[in-house]
Amino acid sequence: MEATRTRGLRVPRGAPFVLPYLPFLIVFGIAPTIYALDLAFTNAGGGWVGFHNFVRAYDDFRFVPAFKHILIYTIVWLGALMVFVVGLALLLHGRATRVSATYRFLFYIPGALAGAAAVVIWLFMLDPTVSPGSFLLRHVLGASIFAQSIAPGNLPYIFAMIAFWTGAGGWIVVMYGALNTIPPDLEEAARIDGAGPFTIAFRLKLPLIRKWIAYMLILSFATGTQLFVEPEIVQHASFGLVPDTWSPNQLAYQQAFRYADFNVAAAIAVDLLLIGLLGAVLIVSRSGLFRAED
Amino acid sequence: MGVRLLGLGARMAILLVFAIFFVAPILWLVLAPTKSDHALVTSSPFSFGSFHNVGLAWRHLDAYSDHLYRRWIANTLVYSLSATAITLAISIPAGYGLALGKFPGRKLILSLTLVVMIMPAASLVLPIFLELNALHLIGSVFSVILPFSFFPFGVYLAYIYYATSIPPELLDAARVDGCGEWLTFRRVALPLAKPVVALVFFFSFVSNWNNFFLPYVVLADSNQYPITVGLSNLLASTPSFNPAVGGGGQTTNIFKPELALATLVAVIPVAIVFLFSQRALVRGTLGGSVKQ
Amino acid sequence: MAGVSFEAASKVYGDGTRALDKLDLTIEDGEFMVLVGPSGCGKTTALRMVAGLEEISEGVVKIGDRVVNGLSPKNRDIAMVFQSYALYPHLSVHDNIAFALKIKKVPKAEIRRRVDEAARILDLEPHLKRKPRSLSGGQRQRVAMGRAIVRQPQAFLMDEPLSNLDAKLRVQMRADIKKIQGDLGVTTIYVTHDQVEAMTMGHRVAVMRKGELQQVADPIELYNRPLNMFVGGFIGSPAMNMLDARVERRNGSFEIVVGDVRIPLDETKVAQHPGLSAYKGGRIVLGIRPESLEDAALAGEGNGPRLRGQAELREALGSEMLMHFTIAASPAVTNEVRELAEDVGDDRALGQLAEGPSARASLVGRFSPQTQIREGESIEVAVDARALHFFDVDSGLAV
Repeated sequence: MEATRTRGLRVPRGAPFVLPYLPFLIVFGIAPTIYALDLAFTNAGGGWVGFHNFVRAYDDFRFVPAFKHILIYTIVWLGALMVFVVGLALLLHGRATRVSATYRFLFYIPGALAGAAAVVIWLFMLDPTVSPGSFLLRHVLGASIFAQSIAPGNLPYIFAMIAFWTGAGGWIVVMYGALNTIPPDLEEAARIDGAGPFTIAFRLKLPLIRKWIAYMLILSFATGTQLFVEPEIVQHASFGLVPDTWSPNQLAYQQAFRYADFNVAAAIAVDLLLIGLLGAVLIVSRSGLFRAED
Repeated sequence: MGVRLLGLGARMAILLVFAIFFVAPILWLVLAPTKSDHALVTSSPFSFGSFHNVGLAWRHLDAYSDHLYRRWIANTLVYSLSATAITLAISIPAGYGLALGKFPGRKLILSLTLVVMIMPAASLVLPIFLELNALHLIGSVFSVILPFSFFPFGVYLAYIYYATSIPPELLDAARVDGCGEWLTFRRVALPLAKPVVALVFFFSFVSNWNNFFLPYVVLADSNQYPITVGLSNLLASTPSFNPAVGGGGQTTNIFKPELALATLVAVIPVAIVFLFSQRALVRGTLGGSVKQ
Repeated sequence: MAGVSFEAASKVYGDGTRALDKLDLTIEDGEFMVLVGPSGCGKTTALRMVAGLEEISEGVVKIGDRVVNGLSPKNRDIAMVFQSYALYPHLSVHDNIAFALKIKKVPKAEIRRRVDEAARILDLEPHLKRKPRSLSGGQRQRVAMGRAIVRQPQAFLMDEPLSNLDAKLRVQMRADIKKIQGDLGVTTIYVTHDQVEAMTMGHRVAVMRKGELQQVADPIELYNRPLNMFVGGFIGSPAMNMLDARVERRNGSFEIVVGDVRIPLDETKVAQHPGLSAYKGGRIVLGIRPESLEDAALAGEGNGPRLRGQAELREALGSEMLMHFTIAASPAVTNEVRELAEDVGDDRALGQLAEGPSARASLVGRFSPQTQIREGESIEVAVDARALHFFDVDSGLAV
């Protein structure tokens, strides 16, 4: 009898479950990206203008300063993450678990308050008249009134501190988890070989969580460049001292809503998108994110 | 021995300093509404005023623009909960299909999800605004709820969960026992997803509640603001930080205690969800990384 | 209640590998059929094709008279016991067993009756309210059985259900499963890589290798008359000894020359192997089961053929003595032998095979426990000439 080909399963297995999610992925993930690209390369009438919008955006006197601000901010923030998050995670690791868990919980609490609320809290913290840290404000920042606290030179550091305050806890939990994947035998072997706690921390544990630190830095870099909430809110509270185009995202926002120049706004958005995309692709390609496969 | 004690002491000191750094501002916030605006400046930052002051601060806050604050809180609840509901409804099955299914384009959708997930949401806000504008959705609550519902991180969490916790043999058993694809999901895969449902709920709710940029861009009517945008609105109307206000004849009684109270109340729902999800959160976040 | 049949059934993967190649096999209604073979032989693939968990690339699979190609598992009326049991973690033992009945909307009273009955048969009554994670391995296995029994399906499919249990439990469950199947009379297809399970449980056993069916017969037939070298070497433990030998005719009778020993064959034996004459003067593979070897000192009649060798290792089992010894003869070196050694993980044999045809062959014999042989001694081994097996050197087929 001739071998008969059988009909396969009618519906590819699992596809219907993904279907409801697809429109959202397309409409709010893929389409905006494409739309932004389209706008960035066309003019208000829809005609193709090549890189004209990008040039115009760059020529705006606020463009370069905005990116400068963001760069300083990102470097300070990443530095703080690198040193303090990793440092605190190392300090917590190897301690009695309950104490360690309590500290981790305390560090994590501000993470629930991301965004506007966190900024408002820090506005109070930066006001020497009411802040519990007024001593520090006066002697470190030389500020005796609020306006002095938010002097332009201080801004990148202030924003970095706010971002650190809300974000560090989560990353400390992640780093701590990463440290826990190190087999305890390694640590014991090192201790038997005579390594002290510093050596163990810096020459054994640190190199083993390199991957996680890299992820944290790449992700934070991509997110950092998108800064909007903090400078926007501080600007509302600042007697007009802080410009409303301090960060590139703010500049794009102003281009879109004050000058109704959606094309230039899109050009700036694409610039930022590319930075974000770069970070995303870097992480996904060096991935452990596909780890669950196979 | 002395060196070790010193090291131990230094360690304790550093941890304590950071703990204070993280917790002190919140403590201040909790105590601030109990003091009057004057007392905030004159008395110790961590002193307790009186409950009477809290009541007073609340009355002022509530009076602002005809109970606008209440509306903001209500808006935020509606936006966050509806969006989270939609997120759960689309993300859990999607994670299941991506993890345990087999169809053309599966890897593509997964990669796209991962890339979009890591891309900062803020980079998409302006393009989304323009898109919503083209669709004439600006001004409706859906301009907030629908974008909020797109939560690729939720899909990713569900994907990881299903890929690592549900052995495919279990689904085979269900199929042999008489379940079609939908029943297999509903009766076996879904009941087993409780931990990840809790996780996605937590992250989605907190993310929605705290979201500022998108609603700031797409909502023009202050009656529709969520609490995050509302806070910045309040900020612009308080003489404490903006002396231009309070001069033009309008009397808003929004000073520091009111602002602090507004922030505190805005934070409470998230704090509640946070406390309840603590256990699921720690277990889930450390999920694959912690050795049992 | 129905039989299951494979007609030229094949499973071909995208890259061309044939996991199952034109399987023709008919399993009678009520029969306990065991599919056995090394990993990768296609036994699990065949089972999953019957279940509907694996697509059938070519050919036809029938349950009863129904062609089931393309039918989803839920429409095939079969029950399956998985190697990992695949119990629903969120359901109690009772609900696990009742699950399929609930799906089919069987009336509550009927469900209760059937679950109670299954629980009784499997001694699960005290555990009905517990969840799988609090059960032992053996209990979980029984729940998996219960889930299958309660369905009253046309066929049971079992995928290595005992392989995760410890040895003693395995022996006991083997008997339980066999008894249950006998009582219920449901057609059963049972997959295992353990030939002891195959021999003790099946009405018939199908030996598979690399996607192809080697031989299907009842256990005794398989043991006594293997159709090829692979089956001969796979069935029986310790495995059949394979030696390089020559067939010679002398004075009108046949002799097998192995090393420096000549083993004459009597007329009855020759009559059983009519193909032997074609190998006159040529090479042949001689297969001797360990059971057919004995310490010459204890073997009795002094005239039987004797092998002379060197005792290497004794393994005292109490009931018998496994004697590893070498003789001056060449071991058979073929693909089958190599594959069998790989499957068992016999590195020593593999190493020896790698050396190529050598001057000494290693054999294993099952001697009486009374043997006095010490390791390192020169020994004489009696061979039961009536129980010899012959295989073609190239094709591996039995002669």
